[in-house]
Amino acid sequence: MNISDYVLSTLGVYGLPVLFGTLFIGSIGLPLPSSLLLLVAGSFIEQGDMSLWPVLGLSAAGAILGDNIGYALGRWGGRRWRGRISHLIGGKERLKTTEEWLKKREGMSVFLSRWLLTPLGPLVNLTSGLTGYSWPRFLVYDVIGEALWVTLYVFLGRFFSDRVQEMSEFLGDFTWMIVGLLIAALLGWKLFQHFRTPSEAQAKAKTRDYLADETP
Amino acid sequence: MRKLEWHQWLLITLFLVALFFTGLFGFRAVRRAIYWHNHRDEPIRSWMSVPYVAHSYRVPTHVLNQAIGLPPMQRDRRPLREIAREQNRPVETLISELQDAIIHSRPPNQEPLPPPVSTDGGPPR
Repeated sequence: MNISDYVLSTLGVYGLPVLFGTLFIGSIGLPLPSSLLLLVAGSFIEQGDMSLWPVLGLSAAGAILGDNIGYALGRWGGRRWRGRISHLIGGKERLKTTEEWLKKREGMSVFLSRWLLTPLGPLVNLTSGLTGYSWPRFLVYDVIGEALWVTLYVFLGRFFSDRVQEMSEFLGDFTWMIVGLLIAALLGWKLFQHFRTPSEAQAKAKTRDYLADETP
Repeated sequence: MRKLEWHQWLLITLFLVALFFTGLFGFRAVRRAIYWHNHRDEPIRSWMSVPYVAHSYRVPTHVLNQAIGLPPMQRDRRPLREIAREQNRPVETLISELQDAIIHSRPPNQEPLPPPVSTDGGPPR
């Protein structure tokens, strides 16, 4: 049986606890249909079967709690992996630069991965903890982002209350397209830099060619 | 053309994969939006409840309740799967009965009948 259908079935019967639990577990990183559940909850509100404020409050609370578990796992559990990661990406210096790079963009990436780049959410929670990003800041961006996500999806569910399954599939594809676009843009930028500044080997080859031209 | 190192090849490959990925999901999203524009109805799934299907297809709930043997005026929030299990039959049968009822309640077929008058001591007229 389809897990997504199963979770959705329980929403009509058990209501809010299902919403809270699914968003909590989904935010930690287990593949549960959190977005679809929010849309369905929005549709149920529109039909008078659920009320708006408890849905918004409990969904946001579940998601925020789950995110913070992910952050804590990265922060206190992830220290053990630091050695391995540092080895993997080429030394402690490299790790430090990467961490610095991440830290500068952490606030924005926490905020965006809450509501727009949702598939990246659990990963960003872990890396935020791992790089030692300040917890109060993480919490602020997290709360703002999750509140936006929950409100956006519940209202989309209310507006398209007669076709939430279709809406959810469309939003899923759309979200992955944005994630792909972002990754392509990052890689494209990296490539552009590579071709603009020639590598050491190429620079050497160039000098060699130049010297060869000079000597008769 | 200059010679490329292995990590540049890797970068180019990853970039192309990311582009392909973006295009694929973009195409799917657009295809869905077009389909959606032309077809107003979404397929009935086993997680949906009868009131949800009624809302989705803009059909009165009592028509669907009657079609699958539920008390007409009841607002049953259970999913179709649960109702099918209770009635001891596959959910697919239930869904096809609902689809039949939906087709018959829409033009050019007859308009649905008004909800039945309750017999259990309604207000006197």
